[in-house]
Amino acid sequence: MKEFQSIPARPAPDQTVGPVAWMRENLFSNIPNSVVTLAIIAFVLYYIPPIVDWAFLSANWSGTTEDACVKEGACWVFVNAWSYQFFYGTYPVEEVWRINLMIVLLLIVIGMSFTLPKHYRMKASIAAWLILPLVGMAVLYGGWGGLEVVSTDLWGGFTLNVFMAAASIIVAFPFSFLWALGRRSEMPFIRSISVIFIEFFRGVPVLSLFFMGSVMLPLFFSEGTNVDKLIRVWLVLIFFMSGYMAEVFRGGFAAVPSGQYEAADSVGLSYWQKILLIILPQVIKISMPNILATFVMLFKNTTFLLIIGIPEVVQTLQTALANSYWLGGHALEGYLFVFLVFWASCFGMSLLSRRIERQMNTEKRD
Amino acid sequence: MFKQKTLEETKASARRSAGSSSSAAFYNNPNIRAIFYQILLVFGLGYFFYSIISNVLSNMEATGIKTGFSFLGASAGYDVLMSLISFESTDTYGRIFVVGFLNTLLVSAIGIFFATLLGFIFGVARFSHNWLIRQVAMIYVEIFRNIPLLLQVFFWYFAVLSALPSARQSLSLGEAIFLNVRGLYLPKMVGGDLFWVAEVALGAAIVGIFVLRRWAKKRQDETGQQFPVLNTSIAMVVGLPVLALILTGMPFEMEYPALKGFNYFGGITVIPELMALAIALSVYTGAFIAEAVRAGVQAIPHGQTEAARSIGLKEKKIMQLIIVPQAMRVIVPLLNSEYQSLVKNSTLAAAIGYPDLFNVFVGTALNQTGQAIETIFMTIIVYFVVNMVISFLMNRFNNAVALVSR
Repeated sequence: MKEFQSIPARPAPDQTVGPVAWMRENLFSNIPNSVVTLAIIAFVLYYIPPIVDWAFLSANWSGTTEDACVKEGACWVFVNAWSYQFFYGTYPVEEVWRINLMIVLLLIVIGMSFTLPKHYRMKASIAAWLILPLVGMAVLYGGWGGLEVVSTDLWGGFTLNVFMAAASIIVAFPFSFLWALGRRSEMPFIRSISVIFIEFFRGVPVLSLFFMGSVMLPLFFSEGTNVDKLIRVWLVLIFFMSGYMAEVFRGGFAAVPSGQYEAADSVGLSYWQKILLIILPQVIKISMPNILATFVMLFKNTTFLLIIGIPEVVQTLQTALANSYWLGGHALEGYLFVFLVFWASCFGMSLLSRRIERQMNTEKRD
Repeated sequence: MFKQKTLEETKASARRSAGSSSSAAFYNNPNIRAIFYQILLVFGLGYFFYSIISNVLSNMEATGIKTGFSFLGASAGYDVLMSLISFESTDTYGRIFVVGFLNTLLVSAIGIFFATLLGFIFGVARFSHNWLIRQVAMIYVEIFRNIPLLLQVFFWYFAVLSALPSARQSLSLGEAIFLNVRGLYLPKMVGGDLFWVAEVALGAAIVGIFVLRRWAKKRQDETGQQFPVLNTSIAMVVGLPVLALILTGMPFEMEYPALKGFNYFGGITVIPELMALAIALSVYTGAFIAEAVRAGVQAIPHGQTEAARSIGLKEKKIMQLIIVPQAMRVIVPLLNSEYQSLVKNSTLAAAIGYPDLFNVFVGTALNQTGQAIETIFMTIIVYFVVNMVISFLMNRFNNAVALVSR
């Protein structure tokens, strides 16, 4: 009696699996493709080794003055020597713990808004976010409880970029929310005011807003009032940001299903109960990726502060490059360093926003 | 009968409830509340603007700043680095405004052209069959999108263009195009007596293309036969002027830049400020446009490609007839906002001293006259108008590519 014996499956043909097949498919599928592949490989082989050599192998790493740069390659000593100014500007060294404290607080609040237990996460983190800028101003400026006053002229560097962006978007949040509501309102006058406001701040170049803040705004205050330049620019950034964020929120409001509005009405909630308890939490969740994208834009735009003479990181770099002890042409090293810092922050945030988007998708599925 | 009665009853009860609501407190009526809130807002805003204006007036009086637009007729007293129309330092602020405006348009147009080119090349490259090309496109987008534009402008200006050789050691291409630290020098075509014939021929070629396109479409609608419109158009645009030049005996001469003393003279000079700004704007915006193109192509279901293949279209035709027209619906609105932000970002000229509208007007003119409000608002209005024109054109284009709903 014959017993049925299955023949074991034959291995797939050599040319359809494995690294060779992958290369045939993806790199050398036809003649033009192969030519392009070889050209790119040649380009990389030709240019990458000298760059690696310049940036790492024959670079100068240790030392404190320009004389330490004896080797052919990059002079990272320059970046090293100026790193304090790049991050903290001219903030006094003995007071720098205040900046670090604020960075830690910022990170804690960010962490809080993602990890707190869900039933009070929204309330607690919104409160923390809104208090944060005030705490920041008090701690960084000082003048109370034995803290020395550090005038805003001394603030600078990369942390100023971070703080300006963070403080602006936080304060812009409630305003932009109101503008977005105004734009959806059925009252014609309120609606048209909101539209004009939003379109104005979205339509003008951000540089002209900075000029308004630094040159025009002092004319608006009554005589004798002297508002700090940084505060004026902050005000302008808040307006700018609330214009953009209002549009983000408008998208969020439109994305909440109308059944949610109707259900809230039918259980007899008042307008503000409906908006704050039912709609707003959903809007914030839906708009999170766009809020992050807007923040990245704002963060990149804080470099424009240089044009009105505020010593943010690029301005600090320009000062360092013009310093008479460092005239050996370190532009490339300096720019690469600042590139890297900005790129890492912005790319990190865009990865985060992609992750949030993906999380939201899976939550919808189950 | 029974039905009729209930309807009457409902109506009556509705009338009763309406009556009872009107007898409730008037301040609970939503209409009255809406009017009240809006009146409150009007008064609030009115007071706000009144106090701002009165503050501005008293501040201006205190500092002795003039108001009004009479400064536009006054002599500026300073020179600008680059001007498309003739300009001398004795000319007026009004003329400076025009010079700056033209420079802004120039850099924006160059930026939009190259950003679109880069964006479409790298956006389509994200879908290449070649793994390496896909990676190169991704690296381009992720690097240049995430670095502030100002840094990129500075990088090109201070780290790349200022590292170019001096005029005597210029990089040259065929002894006609020179590149050095002072700028890019291109040959210029100077027309002679009969040069107008070639210009007329070019105009005729452009008109001819429109006629040809209409005729080819009509013929295809009627007979189904296709006509190679693109190739014929290119042949017409290039061929007709060249033919005209040959027939009239080459009535033009090339003006080549030549080294005199320490610099090149003659031909067309592109100053490094313009180059740095245009390169940075194109590369930065190009990365965003590449993402827009990718989003547009990705939005098309794969079934479209498969269906096109199954009816036997060639790959090139699938791209041209199926994918691109549908992707454009997603891409065009995104392009619109990218173009507008490019125009707004061109104000970064102020950082490296390219004399665009913002730099010469809000920068220098404001400094000299002190008339902050007039100069800033004149400038802002120009950017608004330019962006409105872009938006109008792109919306026209969008209507042309939009799906015609049945």
